[in-house]
Amino acid sequence: MDNLNQSGYWLLAVWLVPLLTALVMVFIPSRFAGVIRGLAGVSGVVMFALSLYIFIGYQVGEGNIQFEKSWVWMENAGILGPGGISLHMGVDGIAAPMVLLTGIVIMAGNVVSWKIQFRNKDFYILLLVLVSGVFGTFVALDMFFFFFMYELAVIPMYLLIAVWGSTRKEYGAMKLTVMLVAASVLIFVGMFAVYTKAGIGSFDLVRLWAVAQTPNGPMDPQFQKIFFPFMVIGCGVLGALWPFHTWSPDGHMAAPTAVSMLHAGVLMKLGAFGIIRLGIQLFPEGAEFWMPGLMVLGTINAVYGSFSALAQRDFKQMIGYSSVSHMGYVMMGLATMNLVGINGAVLQMFAHGVMTALFFAMVGGLYDQAHTREMAVFGGLAGKMPKFSIFFMIAGLSGVGLPAMAGFVAEFNIFVGLFRSYPLFGVLAVLSAATSAAYVFRMFAIVFFGRFNTRWSGLRDIQKTEVFAGTVLAASILFMGVLPKPFTDRISPSVLALPGVIDPTADTPQTAETPNSDHNYDLRPERRRHDAIGWSA
Amino acid sequence: MIGVEHAWIIPAIPLGSFIILALLHNVLPRKGDWLGVLAILTSFALVWFVVADAFTNYPDHLPGRESLEWIEAGRFRVDLGIHVDEVAIVMLIVVTTVALMVNIYSTGYMQERHGLTAEEQRRLLPATAAAHGGHGDTHGDAGHVESSGHHETASAVPEPRYGWFFAVLSLFAFAMLTLVLADNLLLMFAAWELVGVCSFFLIGFYWERRSAAEAAKKAFITTRIGDVGMLIGIIMLWKATGTFHIQTVLHAAETGQIGHTYLVISALFLLMGPIGKSAQVPLHVWLPDAMEGPTPVSALIHAATMVVAGVYLVARMLPLFEAADLLRVILTMGMITAVFASIVALAQTDLKKVIAYSTLSNLGIMMVALGAGSVTAAMFHLMTHAFFKACLFLGAGSVIHATHTQEMGPLGGLWKKMPITGTTFIIAALANAGIIPLAGFWSKDEILHSIDSHAGVVWFVIALVWVVLSGMYTARLVGYTFLGKPRDQHIYSHAHESPFAMTLPLIILGALSIVAGFPILHEVGNSLGLPGGISEFLLTPGEHAEEFHFNVGLATAGTLSALLGMFITGFLMASPGRMARFTAAIPGPYNLVKNKFYFDEMYQWLIDRVILVVAYGVAWFDRHVVNDTGVDGFSSLLNYTGFRLKFAQTGKIPNYALAIVIGVLTLAVIAFSTNS
Repeated sequence: MDNLNQSGYWLLAVWLVPLLTALVMVFIPSRFAGVIRGLAGVSGVVMFALSLYIFIGYQVGEGNIQFEKSWVWMENAGILGPGGISLHMGVDGIAAPMVLLTGIVIMAGNVVSWKIQFRNKDFYILLLVLVSGVFGTFVALDMFFFFFMYELAVIPMYLLIAVWGSTRKEYGAMKLTVMLVAASVLIFVGMFAVYTKAGIGSFDLVRLWAVAQTPNGPMDPQFQKIFFPFMVIGCGVLGALWPFHTWSPDGHMAAPTAVSMLHAGVLMKLGAFGIIRLGIQLFPEGAEFWMPGLMVLGTINAVYGSFSALAQRDFKQMIGYSSVSHMGYVMMGLATMNLVGINGAVLQMFAHGVMTALFFAMVGGLYDQAHTREMAVFGGLAGKMPKFSIFFMIAGLSGVGLPAMAGFVAEFNIFVGLFRSYPLFGVLAVLSAATSAAYVFRMFAIVFFGRFNTRWSGLRDIQKTEVFAGTVLAASILFMGVLPKPFTDRISPSVLALPGVIDPTADTPQTAETPNSDHNYDLRPERRRHDAIGWSA
Repeated sequence: MIGVEHAWIIPAIPLGSFIILALLHNVLPRKGDWLGVLAILTSFALVWFVVADAFTNYPDHLPGRESLEWIEAGRFRVDLGIHVDEVAIVMLIVVTTVALMVNIYSTGYMQERHGLTAEEQRRLLPATAAAHGGHGDTHGDAGHVESSGHHETASAVPEPRYGWFFAVLSLFAFAMLTLVLADNLLLMFAAWELVGVCSFFLIGFYWERRSAAEAAKKAFITTRIGDVGMLIGIIMLWKATGTFHIQTVLHAAETGQIGHTYLVISALFLLMGPIGKSAQVPLHVWLPDAMEGPTPVSALIHAATMVVAGVYLVARMLPLFEAADLLRVILTMGMITAVFASIVALAQTDLKKVIAYSTLSNLGIMMVALGAGSVTAAMFHLMTHAFFKACLFLGAGSVIHATHTQEMGPLGGLWKKMPITGTTFIIAALANAGIIPLAGFWSKDEILHSIDSHAGVVWFVIALVWVVLSGMYTARLVGYTFLGKPRDQHIYSHAHESPFAMTLPLIILGALSIVAGFPILHEVGNSLGLPGGISEFLLTPGEHAEEFHFNVGLATAGTLSALLGMFITGFLMASPGRMARFTAAIPGPYNLVKNKFYFDEMYQWLIDRVILVVAYGVAWFDRHVVNDTGVDGFSSLLNYTGFRLKFAQTGKIPNYALAIVIGVLTLAVIAFSTNS
């Protein structure tokens, strides 16, 4: 695309900015900690600005891939045909909000990490490499680079947790890395299977999608049914799919603040994003066959996660399990394979991202002072740390799905999608929303309310950096909660373009306009057909 | 000119006030309380513009509509809009009036903090010496009250969160007015949840107190259980009709476009919302505990507005419930709540708890009216109840302000000390009991009439029993607080009338408790521009048109029942010790009632023994089975395998040579056997 406004160089830039910043940092002597902080802050703002530009610049309407650009890396060599491996970048309406989410979280995360004293240069270098991988995954349209970026996002995590972490950090880091890398093996296998089967000599995802969606094409249904689980479990581990979720609570508990923010806020979304890109789009037939299975696992995630969260005593573990539960909603939304459900899943990816990042940013602000995350030892913090409490409550209320918060918009779409395709799972999902209210409000009552424990009289309210991060994240939550239209307008056409996705309202009677008089109802079509499972009318 | 379709401005103003107050309450003069009052005053004034427009060429301008698109995805579309009809207008009047009164009242009441424990006092006001001596020794008849610690008398401490209080009040006004105006179920649900959160923050306003924090949590979670049911119902109705728009859903339900079984199930789920929000048995347990909040909050949220949201929802959706044949269910549920709550009210000793149970009981009777198919009676009672119950709560707040206690035990004879509070309280209490010609009488009369004509004689008799019970607890409430002799001279001597900011709302609400019932009369209605009185104004399409006729027999039955109840209590209280002897004579029933039929204990058992056990079970399973056995176990297995295999690495050439030979031989055997 020649149009500068929508040039692929924007995507290249958003991928390169963190990498180049990291490269520059390598050459800054580590004694200039202030310079490094400043650089990190500036690069965070630049990344946010770029991602916001990409989000806004994405033209609403068709749901096509925009900002597209491709640079051939290797072709006509060995097994590779023309355009074999290329740095093919582009965003569709699903990737655009994810890019924005990454920009928001990394800006907040970089600023929050200013307080890191120990080897802050190394910390930022690793963090920026990780973010570059995240951006890269969201914009990559080449299977090879998708995988490459994906790994680039996972590997620095090990060092970040093992060096800068806390509570059982070696264990947490090891478990997280090993589980994620083991899962990557599945993706790797699936990737080569697709490459071989498709037989176009290219890793270009757009071309592979076209092949996969060709009726009676080389990727026959049997093949798709076999290899779809490879991709979905491979990516699902990063999305905390039950029963491969246990790295999440331990990993979050061990990770330093900014890493938790990025990991829960963005990396887990890579998993769900991978399910869309490598699962639904690459294996439409496989998706159709396996989605009920994903629905079951997602439901277990949602219900099991929220009950586990109810029993936790540690802040971060509780939030970790709540992430498991919320990612369950994402999986359920994806598994509906209808427009509203998948819309909801993508919205939930964004909503959960900002919410959980806000949670972790605040917990970090408390932990750095109190050096404990045991909820029961606190009490009455609302008086001592009002700003902290307000931000924490905004995150909690969004998690509960309170209207005017991002979580509500997302959950509500997921519920509608679920009721359309799987009503009984819908009931379970809604009930687990009640459990989530129980654990969140239980935490409020324990930590923020009640008598103040004088042991903590030395606590100060959160610092300016955390207030900044909190404001950005809370504003995102409220913005999406009040005005979801910019998001849904971008997401839904792209979701509708996914193979196998149906518009659930297509066969429901439409109420074109609200009736003009109370007593004259509009004339509506005949009774709609009930085709889904459930109580028929 | 502001027309009915501009009614969205009414909630928008408090929203603006909330945003300003939430961000700036610490820098504004007087912490911005004037802004909160001003905002709700503007909304209140605007309501009358809307009313004026509605009456111009009535009913041509109704219903007023306005909507905007919120989400559009493919053909899935959600619009947010308003729908102003007669029922909504009455609600708008009620909500803005009571909210205005409560905002004004709070500028006086919330200046200082009430009911502090000694410890809280020390922390909030280190200079204050320890609270003065305990409460009196002459507890009289209600003396078998264990005065809990935090009700001890205490001197005044300035309220540290004064500005925040007004911010949340503004947010609440926004949410409640949105709920009233919403034209679709989703927006209504959103507002429904928002009022729930405001209620959470306001119940937990004194969050330093463990009991307040617990009550706030309990209120939110209990109503949330109802809300998730309601959400299921809303989505089920969407699934059947493809819309959230209330009128369209109703139309679909009425014309049989939704299968009956499906309709019944979705209507039952939908009904869970009102059961939680309007505190019907068995989800009523949160409302009495909600009295931990400041008293103005109890008046606004837990008496006049939020708790009636459920009644309002059922009233709006009544054609749907009728189509689903659930009216009898609603009737039964309401009657159980009404009778249960008025019985429990008889044995409570906390001033506010008595009024809270009285609220419960009135909410129940509103549901009964709806169950009898009469939106008119329910909405009319909702309105009069809002006024007299707000007056009762604010009067109770005035008592607390003056005496620093809310236990009735040490009170008594306060009428002399607090003439305005006492008079308005007694008027409101008589209205609550349904004494002619006060507001409550007319609406109760309407309800009795609707029960009589649609539900049958058995229900009518139960309703009369309910009236008797109402009279009994009302008389007990007034008797212990304002009449008789003071039981604690210390408190009595310190009691004083409240400031003007507090008595003004009392006077206005007291006046409304007298006159709010009159619009039912045709003559009054005519002069107000409501031909046929308010009952015809409120008539919803599809409801059987019934003109109000003053029925002497019905009015006599109702009034006599109420008087009978008051007489019974009066007799028991007339001589000192008679009440105590009476309760001691029936210890079993008395304890059952005093302990609220052990509902709280049952739920506590359910939480401790079932839900938390499940939660801990899941967490244990996750930790020990999934993680330690599954994940770490697999890792240990690999580790162990590696450990074992490493012994094959002996470093001795003969061993390796042997292995090579065995390997070659094996391969050879396999090769030959597959070839042959």
